[in-house]
Amino acid sequence: MNLIDIRNLSIELQTSTQPILAVDRVNLTMKEGEVRGLVGESGSGKSLLAQAIVGVLDEKWKVDADRFHWRGNDLMRLTPEERKAIISKDVAMIFQEPMACLDPTTTIGEQLEEAVDVEQLTGFFWQKRQQRKLAAINLLHKVGIKQHEMCVKSFPHQLTDALCQRVMIAMALARRPMLLIADEPTAAMESTNQGQIFRLLASLNQLKNMSILLISHDLENVTHWTNAITVMYSGQFVEAGTTEQIFNQPYHPYTRALVDSSPKANRMIPNKSRLMTLPGSIPILQHLPIGCRLGPRCPRAQQKCVHAPKIKNFHGHQVSCHFPLKDSYS
Amino acid sequence: MGLLKTNMLIFTLRRFSLFFFTMWLLTILSFSLSFLFPGEQLINLTGEINASPEQLAVLANEYQQQANLLTQYFSYVSHLFHGDMGYSMTSHLPIMTEIINRLPATVELTCVALLVAMFFGIPIGFCAAIYHRKAPDNFILAIAMIGYSIPVFWLGILAILVFSVQLGWLPSAGQISLLFEIKHVTGLQLVDILLSDSEYKWQAFQDATRHLILPVIVVALAPATIFMRLARTAMLEVLDTHYIKAAKAKGLTFSQIIYRHAMRNAVIKVIRDVGLQFAHLITIAMVTEVIFSWPGIGRWLIESIYQRDYTAIQGGLIVLSTFIFIVHIIIDFVYAALNPLAREPNHGT
Repeated sequence: MNLIDIRNLSIELQTSTQPILAVDRVNLTMKEGEVRGLVGESGSGKSLLAQAIVGVLDEKWKVDADRFHWRGNDLMRLTPEERKAIISKDVAMIFQEPMACLDPTTTIGEQLEEAVDVEQLTGFFWQKRQQRKLAAINLLHKVGIKQHEMCVKSFPHQLTDALCQRVMIAMALARRPMLLIADEPTAAMESTNQGQIFRLLASLNQLKNMSILLISHDLENVTHWTNAITVMYSGQFVEAGTTEQIFNQPYHPYTRALVDSSPKANRMIPNKSRLMTLPGSIPILQHLPIGCRLGPRCPRAQQKCVHAPKIKNFHGHQVSCHFPLKDSYS
Repeated sequence: MGLLKTNMLIFTLRRFSLFFFTMWLLTILSFSLSFLFPGEQLINLTGEINASPEQLAVLANEYQQQANLLTQYFSYVSHLFHGDMGYSMTSHLPIMTEIINRLPATVELTCVALLVAMFFGIPIGFCAAIYHRKAPDNFILAIAMIGYSIPVFWLGILAILVFSVQLGWLPSAGQISLLFEIKHVTGLQLVDILLSDSEYKWQAFQDATRHLILPVIVVALAPATIFMRLARTAMLEVLDTHYIKAAKAKGLTFSQIIYRHAMRNAVIKVIRDVGLQFAHLITIAMVTEVIFSWPGIGRWLIESIYQRDYTAIQGGLIVLSTFIFIVHIIIDFVYAALNPLAREPNHGT
């Protein structure tokens, strides 16, 4: 059974003139226990998609989907309150810039304690305070923070970014979620700290069978930690498949370009030569191309590309392109 | 914890150095006023208008008139430190006595008005932000606009006309009814009543409160509307931050988010501006004191200006500015107590 199954999810920005389709009919499926990467440039709508799943977008965004199943439950049939109850119980999210995501005037301990699930506490109300404290300290231990006494008393600005991100993960763990959405959890972090956070996420996935949706702009880094990858471009679905499929045999010209642009993936290239890049830059929201939004930049684009392509499925490797690169691999 | 204490010490020292330099500038201003006002500088400084030439010679010696300007200034400051601000030109009482008699009434009026303005203004502003761009928001904004635009002298007279003259609910002038005899201990009427052992203590307290209501409302109205708008903006800013979004993702309900996270952060943002508004509030209070015959320093100062009592103007200026500045510093400390970020001396990492 799929953990999450989203079909044709669109997100519109309501502006004073006309609505802008920021995310255009994106598909996303995840199995239980899977680590899936969601890759795309900044502005490709990956954070929007994640926030739409968790339901924290404000009123100026309008979300619509053909199918939104959570563990077999059709969430589209439920009222917003019921949906929020299910999602906030089973899905947790961590953000980039962890320090900005913690209340600057409340101590870490208090913020952790309020994240603790009431249902996990037993006993009378005078015992609960103490239990909350213990639960908070346990959570800190789970994410590998040993100096819990110092940490609980601190305010967010007194900790480092990496510690704050660990605290955010600890809060996310408080409700024992089935799915953790990590929105660029290591942006603006040193590489040693990045490694620590990714290793922590990987161990949580293996030990607690927690699924993780890892959002990143760095395809090469994501491949180390994920089983499957979904690629997005400018709010459109590009390609999805296992990490090997995406990294070794991408079918979509955009994914090909992403892989080619990373130095590790093509060690064969001679020294000091230029890396492959696509001409131009990602279109702004006010001037989106029709059809496949990669069209103006795509090396394989033809007249047909002004119509949005249908998704083709090759043994679980999905690609949204009229002219996939499938035949170029022998 | 040791680090926190040194941070707090540095914070306090900074505030005191600021206090010192502001006082220094204030005394320079007040001293130069004695030259700028018409008439003899020595008489402006001391207020001895009927002194004989012999007495004037003694005073000139006391204020070191024969020495250079700097020495004159220092002898003026040392007089100030000894609590000698000269004599009032009209009443011939020492300025210090006049001020000690009148300042507490102003302190009482302004502090109660400030608290009332904050107590009503800030929560109403939060309501407006929570119902952003809906009917309550527009209604509150309109009320705030009207409240801010009403001139205080007109509002005061209208309040007297309606509530004292026509309806007869509240007294129109003074601090307390003449029937009650309250011993002067701190000068703050309400505190003195509570300290006194009169058997009509509670009646006196009620009476003083009734006298306080109208002037406080008149003084508090304009600042309250400013606080409404400040609180609304602060709350909107806070509701837009990442930590509110993260709290939503954590599964907290909207009211939990407002009470636990948004309110505290928004209040901190508002508190920072309260000090600035206090000077504005004092100005309003001075006009209100005249309208309600409130025996405060503001009314006394305005009367002194009418009567060209230069010594009183200098003294009143120093005392009122000092009072505003002390309140400013107290609010800074409250801000630091609420906001952990403000306690740090610098924000480098």
